Amino acid sequence: MPATGIEPAWLEARERGSPILVRLIVWITRRLGRAPARALLPVVVAYFVVFSVKPRRASREYLARVLDRPPTLADVYRHYHAFASTLVDRVYFLSGRYEHFDVRLHGTEAVEHAMAGGSGCVLIGAHLGSFEVLRAAALSGPRWKVAMLMDNANARKMTRIFAALNPELADDIINVGAPDSLIRAKQRLEEGALLGVLADRLRRGDEAIGCSFLGGTTWLPAGPFTLAAVLGAPVVLGFGLYRGGRRYDVHFELFRERISLPRAERGAAVAALARAYATRLEHYTRLAPYNWFNFFDAWAAPDEGARG
Amino acid sequence: MAAQKPLEAEISALMVEVLNLEVPAGDIDPEAPLYGEGLGLDSIDMLEISLAIAKRYGVELRADDDASRQVFASLRNLARHVEHTRAR
Repeated sequence: MPATGIEPAWLEARERGSPILVRLIVWITRRLGRAPARALLPVVVAYFVVFSVKPRRASREYLARVLDRPPTLADVYRHYHAFASTLVDRVYFLSGRYEHFDVRLHGTEAVEHAMAGGSGCVLIGAHLGSFEVLRAAALSGPRWKVAMLMDNANARKMTRIFAALNPELADDIINVGAPDSLIRAKQRLEEGALLGVLADRLRRGDEAIGCSFLGGTTWLPAGPFTLAAVLGAPVVLGFGLYRGGRRYDVHFELFRERISLPRAERGAAVAALARAYATRLEHYTRLAPYNWFNFFDAWAAPDEGARG
Repeated sequence: MAAQKPLEAEISALMVEVLNLEVPAGDIDPEAPLYGEGLGLDSIDMLEISLAIAKRYGVELRADDDASRQVFASLRNLARHVEHTRAR
């Protein structure tokens, strides 16, 4: 049973800044194209650096941890700019204009190996860099299908903003809110798809696992790891890091060959998996420190009752 | 609460066993919603039930359309679906 009563920081914070920023940048990119949108980014980003108070505070707190020094305003600007850049590019990835970019794939053999049995695997990612480049790269290079599990109102909002760009994508998005959603996910997996799930944000009612991350304790959801255990499928990690300009580095790595656990032993094993994931997440976050796109306090404790 | 039919009793026992539920199998109302407010199961629980049913009865539960979604509405619907599919 999931713990209840959790109000994760990112759900609580009505992140005024980000959705408006997202909307504005998508609008500019669609109207004017990538080059003019990028030319306008300094103005748009500077505006949001100045006026979005809560996300800016979260950005500073995060940057202080990852850079190991007090961040300057230039660091915060760079952080926002990286986020805004990936939003511009996301418009392109979603409309299939992938060839405009310099995307380098790393570790695809790990996924090939994991999928050697013929069925798909669980692909765990994060709000680090662009998950969209990862999806585009998987499709255009090795021709892997990616079905995405989405599990919150924010994701639905984002999906609505981007749905107009690529209606076919709706098929590849599985909303976790229905009784049969994970049965649908299992079907996609059996068809050979990568089942993408982002594991760095808690959602309402999720069981929270305390994990050491960038010198503090962050609370990650048990759900993605429990799901991987129930599905008994191979698990890979994937991160699409933005490197500036047109350049992305997409990293895949094998996480677990197969997770198969009796229910009684699952709790402890799932917690260990979440912690192992947090370690890898920290590794990739340090590789690309301005790619962390969680503009809320990721180290805020969930309610006492929810600690597991 | 409506009374459980034999197959419903069997499936509710299976559910209690697979999900480690704290309610006695006989107390599960066959007409109450399984998911969310009713019995309080989440989508991972539903997936586990579908795997257990496939194993025990050889009936694969699909999630294709609204009709298939009805199957997961209650223990009664679930048992009815298993019964019909097995009989085919």
